Amino acid sequence: MVLPLKGVMQAPVTPLKDDFSFDGAGFEKMVEFHVRHGAPAIAWPHHKAESLNLTIAERKLGAEIAVKTVAKRVPVSIFLGTLSEEDSVDIARHAEKIGADAVLAISPYVRRPTQEEIFDSVVRLGTATGLPILTYNSPWRNGEGVEFTAELTQRLIERLPNYVGMKDASFHSEKFLEISRVALRMRPGFSIIQGVEHLLSAYPLGACGSFSSSGAIAPNLCNKFYDSLVARDWETARDCQFKISRLWKLFKEQYPSSLKGAMIMMGRPVGPTRSPLPTATKERIDFLKTQLEELGVLQSEPHGW
Amino acid sequence: MSKFQPGLAHAPVTPFKRDNAIDYDTYAKLIEFHLKNGADALALPMPEGEDLSLTDPEQRQLIEFAVKQVKGRVPLIAHVSDAGTAIAVDRAKHAEKVGASALVSHPPYFWHPKPSMVVEHIVAVGSAVKLPFFVCTPPVENVGTHLTADMFMQLVDRLENLRGIVDSEMDFVFMEEIMSNRRLRKADYDLISGADYMVPPAAVGGKGAFSSLAAIAPKLVKQVYDLCAKEDFIEARKGQEQLAELRQLVKHPRLETGLKAALRAMGRDCGNPRPPSKPLGEVEHGKVAEAIAGMAFLKAEPRGW
Repeated sequence: MVLPLKGVMQAPVTPLKDDFSFDGAGFEKMVEFHVRHGAPAIAWPHHKAESLNLTIAERKLGAEIAVKTVAKRVPVSIFLGTLSEEDSVDIARHAEKIGADAVLAISPYVRRPTQEEIFDSVVRLGTATGLPILTYNSPWRNGEGVEFTAELTQRLIERLPNYVGMKDASFHSEKFLEISRVALRMRPGFSIIQGVEHLLSAYPLGACGSFSSSGAIAPNLCNKFYDSLVARDWETARDCQFKISRLWKLFKEQYPSSLKGAMIMMGRPVGPTRSPLPTATKERIDFLKTQLEELGVLQSEPHGW
Repeated sequence: MSKFQPGLAHAPVTPFKRDNAIDYDTYAKLIEFHLKNGADALALPMPEGEDLSLTDPEQRQLIEFAVKQVKGRVPLIAHVSDAGTAIAVDRAKHAEKVGASALVSHPPYFWHPKPSMVVEHIVAVGSAVKLPFFVCTPPVENVGTHLTADMFMQLVDRLENLRGIVDSEMDFVFMEEIMSNRRLRKADYDLISGADYMVPPAAVGGKGAFSSLAAIAPKLVKQVYDLCAKEDFIEARKGQEQLAELRQLVKHPRLETGLKAALRAMGRDCGNPRPPSKPLGEVEHGKVAEAIAGMAFLKAEPRGW
């Protein structure tokens, strides 16, 4: 079971109304925007979609809208990260029922799980659904977080025939190669997808793409970046990578508030950000505007829906 | 200053006799081996050459010996790092006086200083000489302070002879920032691979490598290095994966311990590491030899001196 996952895949934000309620119509437009601008896959709700601040009912509703709007034009993956593993299982089963193409698991991440706990958790999720399952490798600098070692990856591939890929946010040559050497040998076609767009370093070593942070602002840049990698045009790839890295630096501050603020400025009103995350202030949006102008993004990327 | 580039620098181990004295007869053979097997430069004594276990007079003597042995056939890059700034400065001046071609240094050992103190320390060492100067990212367990891209840019501003950064941290984001800043500032320093993971730094635009695995597999190292230099990154993947496999074998329990065990298996006995690094027992040596014998890609590599 191998999905055609490749390229800079888009993870839409969650549009909210001014009263902070879920904006279903806005979300439909958001998903459509990404597909129309060349997204090779749709992944929702990642952290930038405020996943943990949505209720489980809202997440199911959003998943249904995403699947229906995309209508099989590209694969749709549903993120399973929740506080409680019971909810993750529930969302996984729901995703299968509504016709999503894959699920992405990280559970039970708030608990600083051991390798054994991660293994059990992924197996539980991966057997609760027949969908292809991806995991999210997120080792934090201080050694906490959820780390998928090569050994854990190997055990999961042996155990789960539907384990097809990993979102890798280790951003580290050695860690990447430890996983890729095992995974790509055992399961050719295993998709290693870089978290945000730190893709240039990993692409030659077998990464198939990335989940995007900046695609809601600069989809053209994302697509140009991936095309340049495929064409082995490393000079263009570096231009794009450095620009995307600078964008990420802008957005990771108060993520995803700054991103949402910049989207509003580009004519895509996606509303505020739910507490405890702040909503971008007017000053912040003005600052982003000057930065995006300097990067040439305002001039070269789509405005409006 | 004309631009000094290390190319493919080999980083030799430091051989010891049974009584833990430096084994200069073997060191001479080892240097000749490296020169015969593709070294564009030598960097010594790097952390894998156990600089930390050598006394100050020994480090001076070692560099003097190496200069005489090399006789200008390739540039010799002296590694000078210490806990105390004055001690490092003195040894840096000595290295320049006795004929080293360049200097490399990292943040001070042990004190876990604040970034500003690290910058002052490195500025003191780098400005003590007129030689081309490189900073290297340190083994963090010995130093405790990460060298950040911001700190490096401060060094770029303050050290006229700064020619580059030798990276062993292998962090994609750090490497991108270093090269992105270079473009923004129109600077001309190099990002140099420091840990035998050559593809990622080269993909973002880096140039040059310090290699300790060259002692074991000089042909493979040279092959991956050459492919990276030609920007054939996709073609470099296979060799890079093999280097990663070898690196995983020798990095435990410490790099110098594993390197020396592997060297013995390759017929180039350089003795044991100095205390506190424990030498491997005979059973463990047997396992290393067996693992080496099982790596088909090492068949083409030279055995003996």
